Amino acid sequence: MPNSKKLIIDGAESSNIWHCFDDETPLAEAPAIISLARLQDEGAELVAAGKKLGVILRAGEKQGEDVHALKPFLDNLAVVAIEFPVYRNGRGYSAARILREQMGFRGEIRAVGEVLFDQWQFMHRCGINAFEVDADVSLEAFQEALDELSAAYQPAADPQRGILWRRHN
Amino acid sequence: MYRYDEFDHQLVAERVEQFRGQVERRVSGELSEDAFKPLRLMNGVYLQLHAYMLRVAIPYGTLSSRQLRKLAHIAREYDRGYGHFTTRQNIQYNWPALARIPDLLAELAEVEMHAIQTSGNCIRNVTSDQYAGAIADEIEDPRIISEIIRQWSTFHPEFSYLPRKFKIAVTGHAHDRAAIKLHDIGIVIVRNEAGEIGYEVHVGGGQGRTPFIAKKLAEFVPKDKLLAYLEAVMRVYNMLGRRDNSYKARIKILVHETGEEEMRKLVEAEFAQIDASKMLEVPQAEIDRITRYFEPPAFETLPAESAAFNKAQADDAGFAQWCRTNVVAHRQLGYSIVNISLKPIGGVPGDATDVQMEAIAELAEVYSFDELRVTHEQNLVLPHIRLDDLKAVYDRLVTHELATPNLGLISDAIACPGLDYCNLANARSIPLAQEISNRFADLDRQYDIGELKIKISGCINACGHHHVGHIGILGVDKKGTEFYQVSLGGSADEHASLGDITGRAFTEDTIVDAIETLVETYVGLRHADERFIETYRRVGLTPFKERLYAE
Repeated sequence: MPNSKKLIIDGAESSNIWHCFDDETPLAEAPAIISLARLQDEGAELVAAGKKLGVILRAGEKQGEDVHALKPFLDNLAVVAIEFPVYRNGRGYSAARILREQMGFRGEIRAVGEVLFDQWQFMHRCGINAFEVDADVSLEAFQEALDELSAAYQPAADPQRGILWRRHN
Repeated sequence: MYRYDEFDHQLVAERVEQFRGQVERRVSGELSEDAFKPLRLMNGVYLQLHAYMLRVAIPYGTLSSRQLRKLAHIAREYDRGYGHFTTRQNIQYNWPALARIPDLLAELAEVEMHAIQTSGNCIRNVTSDQYAGAIADEIEDPRIISEIIRQWSTFHPEFSYLPRKFKIAVTGHAHDRAAIKLHDIGIVIVRNEAGEIGYEVHVGGGQGRTPFIAKKLAEFVPKDKLLAYLEAVMRVYNMLGRRDNSYKARIKILVHETGEEEMRKLVEAEFAQIDASKMLEVPQAEIDRITRYFEPPAFETLPAESAAFNKAQADDAGFAQWCRTNVVAHRQLGYSIVNISLKPIGGVPGDATDVQMEAIAELAEVYSFDELRVTHEQNLVLPHIRLDDLKAVYDRLVTHELATPNLGLISDAIACPGLDYCNLANARSIPLAQEISNRFADLDRQYDIGELKIKISGCINACGHHHVGHIGILGVDKKGTEFYQVSLGGSADEHASLGDITGRAFTEDTIVDAIETLVETYVGLRHADERFIETYRRVGLTPFKERLYAE
């Protein structure tokens, strides 16, 4: 992660213990975030060797990586980083919800890439709890963005109940 | 009609303040135009050829008189004294100043209106049948489920950055006035053999440069499962829809490239997951609460015939003609549905001035239980007018030049804003609509021609619905000159079809003559009272083409 970024996990600034590796570089001691392809190729042996693992799910333009492909590895993944290559590419919102609501993933889901002020609340509602943001973002501004809309009409991956349901207890 | 509760009010107010902050950050330079663009688009603000344009949502085309008065006020105070009703039952203002838009939105919020999700790659304003709740033989008022969809889709956290915009339309009637088969999702309210009400769901329709009629993905989705089904369609689209080419990003392309059967499987698999959670089943008490807002107004018990109405028709031939073209039978005895044409001869299709809007608002308040509708064909509707009151309504409309008796006729064209406003357009649409209207100004001739839907788009994006015009006209640009390509046989109703291109395009000097040739060809070929579209479907393209390109 370049220095111009800051990591916010569950609302608190956190140091990033994870290192991202491309598919050719041998993994060092530190916890490693690797590609889906590498996870599929080497995941079993890395887990057997006691390696702490994370994965990055790429969004792609024509097509993105399928979140369902993570299923065999979920128990051994501490972090799923979801890529938002540009703010317009919103595939990751669906991936996050499927991870939380259908695959029962309880680890860290981290938004990386173009992760801007006006997206944080929606990302958070979809189950993303870690945000790689610009270094000059204050925690106050972050919290303000998360609270920008005080209610939601529909249920999502957060505990908030939709207005259509709240009106009748 | 639906009224906001404290939640709705609060969210719209918060959104206005959120956008005010975003506009301030843009004006101060903190936000670049590129970063501001998706934010303004989520709030209905476009950058057009000459200025910003604001599109205001009119959910499922229903308005109160108070709301229409506010729209008139905004036209006067923030724009140049008029507004433009669109093919998605919305209204656009062409000249607001960006810095004043937050104030404008705050004024709209006072009357429970907003511009949320009228642009951008999100779920857009839901559209529906303009005769909802007024027409006979409706299975259920489509505005009830439309309102539930409106709420579910508003600020949807997962579906606000879709591959492309997403449009949903609903009809509760066998005769489709909402063009549901030309939408990303089209919903038909149906009754199954057990007598239960549910939804037929069509997916992947659309126009633009690659038009498709939607495929029926589900025959019958039970009432309490619709939101789960919609969420499943949206999720499949959000994950699999293409983002490498904006012209291939709509769900119609995904359905086409994936294949109908495979798409159905993908949606059903996702639906099974969502349905198992039960999280999208709206409580019955909430459905009942929303339903109550759409209960029929307190109609009087009236006889089927009105002596006053019959006499007025006998006395005033103009009135009688307007009744024949613009007035439709109502479900309630003694009432009628009035269509107000926003297509005066030679006028700009869909435009209304502040004064006209106020006059219509008054008519709605006095005569139509305070209700109004906007149609996707860019006209307005007074849905509940007593036969006894028709003459008084007509006289007021005449005063304001709103009584053109041309509904469904050749001069009742749809036209996109075209090169007069839009920075995507290749050609002008509005002046062409005006020229055609002037050429066929003689109403007797229009009546003789009968129902004929002309739809004009200034570019391939097809905002003027040319693919589904009985006669469709598409503006194309060839080396800096405007040309018009003609297609025939399109239709947007329950028998939806895409038009066939006739051949070589016409110049602006020859296009109106070409339309005249097509009309004359039809008149020569038709059997008895066959409509243009029926004749076309019987005889096909060839006889029209031969006449059109004869030397």
